[in-house]
Amino acid sequence: MTNARTVKSAREKAAEMRAEAARKETRRRSILVTVVVAVVLVVAVGVTVVVRQAQHDDAVAAAQAPAGTPRNVGANFGIATGPATTSAGKPRVVVDMYEDFQCPICKEFEAADGAALKSWQQAGIVQLVYHPVAFLDRESTTNYSTRALDAAASVQDSSPGSFQAFHDLLYTNQPAEGSDGLTDAKLADLAAQAGADRATVASDLGAQRFQAWTVQATDAFSQKYTGTPTVLVDGKQQQSMDPASLKAAVAAAAAAKGLPAPK
Amino acid sequence: MDLARSTARVGTGPAPIRSRRPLAPFASLAGRLVLAVVFAAAGWPKLLDPDGTVRSVRAFRLVPEALVPAFGYGLPVLELALARLLLVGLLTRWSAAAAGVLLVMFMIGIAAAWARGLAIECGCFGSTSGPVVDPTRGYALDLLRDAALLLVAGFLVVRPRSPLSLDARLGL
Repeated sequence: MTNARTVKSAREKAAEMRAEAARKETRRRSILVTVVVAVVLVVAVGVTVVVRQAQHDDAVAAAQAPAGTPRNVGANFGIATGPATTSAGKPRVVVDMYEDFQCPICKEFEAADGAALKSWQQAGIVQLVYHPVAFLDRESTTNYSTRALDAAASVQDSSPGSFQAFHDLLYTNQPAEGSDGLTDAKLADLAAQAGADRATVASDLGAQRFQAWTVQATDAFSQKYTGTPTVLVDGKQQQSMDPASLKAAVAAAAAAKGLPAPK
Repeated sequence: MDLARSTARVGTGPAPIRSRRPLAPFASLAGRLVLAVVFAAAGWPKLLDPDGTVRSVRAFRLVPEALVPAFGYGLPVLELALARLLLVGLLTRWSAAAAGVLLVMFMIGIAAAWARGLAIECGCFGSTSGPVVDPTRGYALDLLRDAALLLVAGFLVVRPRSPLSLDARLGL
């Protein structure tokens, strides 16, 4: 009887020791694997962040080089298509519009309000300032947003008087989301149709001359706004794009500046 | 308790599947794969568009600007790493916990954007037919989806053991 009990407890003790050793071994292995994976992860993330940041900084530098920045572009990456003052020297109501050429709601906005806005500019009431940005590259397979903006920058740089027409053509010819977008050749054709020099625009597009600038413009936009279209009337962000509200907002701003009411 | 069973339990191989719940490990395997696919699908496009990802992070207005680029550049790497760990079943409990933390983070971001009336995309902001297009549906669906994934991650934290895993191979 005693023998059986001693044998059993010896076996139990041996089993316990094996269990203890196994547990320790498992714990050691577990810690080792965890540490290795954690280190690899930290290094991977760290390297990625450092490299991307450096690439970004290079892009900033490239955009600031004279050849990389389009001429005739104002502060806040704004492209004005009319004068800031009336013929009498009075300051006009400024309408800032942040748009993406791939954005379908921007196209709707242009269709609904574009003509009215242009007529108010003609009438000497407003100054239209476009801030095209490119954050919808994921909606095309060929970074259409960026290429369209690149082309627009090229048009503004070489032939500022053609920008308004080119801008309008880009919206009437807007490609569907998820498609390849318009080709560089097509963009150059539209630029020529708007009055710019086709060869210049085609060459700028091919060289992606203003690509870094498009990144800067879009980043600056993302610091303040999160969606498009974003429309400001004399600095006040509009909550509604419908023609009546827009007209009311412009009328109020015009009245405040002693300008005639928009029709 | 007979000796044979107790010694079997202290071996250095994988723990025997408990006869009380034979399905749990397979559910864990399914959970691992679901999370792996979701995180890979989320991380890959972000990796390909670093500038866009940074802008997206910024759009949520939750991370201080100084940290936005690090977040935007680092997040996709983390998502893809977690996807890979879950796929091969290495450090499953920790990966699932980390995935859960990320999901909670995303849910907070979406809920905050929703509550603050932010619109993070084209078209959510402004409509020509009247006032702002309501992004409620998109936000609600996103939150529901993330909540479901969070449950999966939670299950994996509690039941990390599954077949076809490196954890089992390494005896972790």
